[in-house]
Amino acid sequence: MKEIIRLTVVLTCVCMVAGFALSYVNAATKEARAYQDRLELLGALNMVLPEHDNEADKDTVDISGITYYLAKKDGNINGVAFKTSTEKGYSGLIEVIVGVDISGQIHAIGILSQKETPGLGSKIDEDWFKDQYKGKTLEGANWAVKKDNGDFEQISGATISPRAVTGAIKEGLTGYEQNKMQILGGSDVVQ
Amino acid sequence: MSFSKEFIKGIWRENPVFILVLGMCPVLAVTTSAANGLAMGLAATFVLLCSNMVIAVIRSIVPDRVRIPVFIVVIASFVTVVDLVMSGYFRSLHHSLGLFIPLIVVNCIILGRAEAFASKNSIFLSIADGLGMGAGFTLALVILGSIRELFGNGSIFSYQLLGSGYEPILVMILPPGAFLTLGILTGVFAAIEKK
Amino acid sequence: MKDIFVSSSPHIHSPEDTPWIMRQVVYALIPGALIGVYFFGIPAITVIAVSVVSCVIIEALWQKLTKKDITVTDGSAALTGLLLAMNLPSGSPWWLVVLGSLVAIVIGKQVYGGLGNNPFNPALVARVFLLISFPVHMTTWPQPRSFFSLSADTVTGATPLGALKTAIFEHGTITAAPHLNLMDPFLGNVGGSLGEISALALILGGIYLIIRKIINWHIPIFYIGTVALITGIFWLMDPNTFADPAFHLISGGLMLGAFFMATDMVTSPITNKGKIIFAIGCGVITVVIRFWGGYPEGVSFAILIMNALVPLINKATKPGKFGAV
Repeated sequence: MKEIIRLTVVLTCVCMVAGFALSYVNAATKEARAYQDRLELLGALNMVLPEHDNEADKDTVDISGITYYLAKKDGNINGVAFKTSTEKGYSGLIEVIVGVDISGQIHAIGILSQKETPGLGSKIDEDWFKDQYKGKTLEGANWAVKKDNGDFEQISGATISPRAVTGAIKEGLTGYEQNKMQILGGSDVVQ
Repeated sequence: MSFSKEFIKGIWRENPVFILVLGMCPVLAVTTSAANGLAMGLAATFVLLCSNMVIAVIRSIVPDRVRIPVFIVVIASFVTVVDLVMSGYFRSLHHSLGLFIPLIVVNCIILGRAEAFASKNSIFLSIADGLGMGAGFTLALVILGSIRELFGNGSIFSYQLLGSGYEPILVMILPPGAFLTLGILTGVFAAIEKK
Repeated sequence: MKDIFVSSSPHIHSPEDTPWIMRQVVYALIPGALIGVYFFGIPAITVIAVSVVSCVIIEALWQKLTKKDITVTDGSAALTGLLLAMNLPSGSPWWLVVLGSLVAIVIGKQVYGGLGNNPFNPALVARVFLLISFPVHMTTWPQPRSFFSLSADTVTGATPLGALKTAIFEHGTITAAPHLNLMDPFLGNVGGSLGEISALALILGGIYLIIRKIINWHIPIFYIGTVALITGIFWLMDPNTFADPAFHLISGGLMLGAFFMATDMVTSPITNKGKIIFAIGCGVITVVIRFWGGYPEGVSFAILIMNALVPLINKATKPGKFGAV
């Protein structure tokens, strides 16, 4: 009986000390982690949005589960960014961020995360690939890779990843066009 | 038993990767580049050093029957500290090591050293052991990562060495390349040891 | 000498048999290789020559380096080189072939202790290594043309199995795949690895080996039979999604694999019962990869996976003490 009490006491004490220590570290690093999260988001937004002077990560409109980030210059919206993703890649989820100007023309895209085969599908994150989407609109382009008679380059040896990315962007653009009024107008109401 | 002896054994004679063949999960999974190998090695060394120290200090008050849970709590706490700090201050490293940071908890080297060494030796020697084993582990990961990055991407520490005409041997940075490289290096170590 | 039947127990590894056996296998491969040369021209000759020569040189160098007896005259390295060449696209650059030879000889064979000790077929180890490392080179298939039409440009295109996979991926059915005259893959007039294109030439070579008793019929027949049976069942269920068995039998690397790679006496089971299990396993895995895998062709992977199981199969099918088969 004495033995079991000793075991319990030691284990409890160790766990308590560990718990307190961890809660301290958690609190101490909380700000830094939130700051890094924000830096990441801002980095992605700056990459795909036209030049703006607002804090785009705080100027958002949520419609059917998608967050639209608004870029503003001198108080006027000059671009919108949104995330879109697809499971149709070669391995796992591909997350894409798309930035458009208010007419719906793509300003730039960025790949937020992907697990495609290194050296093959992973080339979707190379500039030559991402740049081909610049200036395209939902209506003004044939949203498929060249192998499927579309407008976009595939990667030799890997057709699946570019196909997935192209599909995801198309889907994101479609969502934007459908909700365009609400996205652009909604923010005016907020103001 | 001296400090330097305990330190050196971890690097060569009892190298955790090439001789003891422990902690294979991170060894195989994160060594896709030299930088990842180094970061993983340092993270594991930090945890190993801290857990060895704490366990050497508390070893006399921990009853035998609960020693394993106590060790795990100590190790898991330090791993969580590494995870949180890395997430807050080294975000890109945290991304590339991903899941393998929390998995340091189950790295056999750390529990192995706690059980086999720190629970039986003084804090002074446990520090030497932790540093030595950590250094050996880090060294192995950097060698493995460098070879795989060199052949699989033409670079070491992202420094392009083999020129643009080099066609990378992709398999080297994919999982099979990890097994091939580890096997060859273990063979080389054994051959040198034999001499 | 001709009566030695190496693949059934008791086995006797006597070194003077090896060169003779290797020569017979090389003879059997000649028709397939010639068809490759006829349809792919000079590049095919280059690939074969580079592969054979580099395999022999690498084996000799390795044995010298590790202070072992130099055994390249047994012909096994040359045979590995020829098999490797027949598993590569004819347009492979020379360095790719040399790297493949290095992998085949050193990683596929010598690290295990040389001929007779390697668990995996060395040529297939090299092929899969190259396929994963250089997917673009390894899936750029020059299209066949007559040796005598000396046009400078080589046209590349998909293999029949590759075209099938693309059609299914894009349209969900195989009806969009280009219609294939079955006579072409039978004679070799299709895209593919250098030595896999003509089912006829490979079958002739295989029959020669069976007659010479270098291999017995169990592995090829059960391997091909399994593929025919499974593809047949699926084809009857849904001919729009699954190609017919005849197509599956004569396209891709099945004939080369079934007659020459799966039957490798070092890496296949000893007993006939074991061989049958091994062959059925190869067949199932091949079809699974062809139907549902990421790659259009699964013969190499299937044989390598089953190679890994050979020690278990041998253990499970070990004959009893006396009188048992």
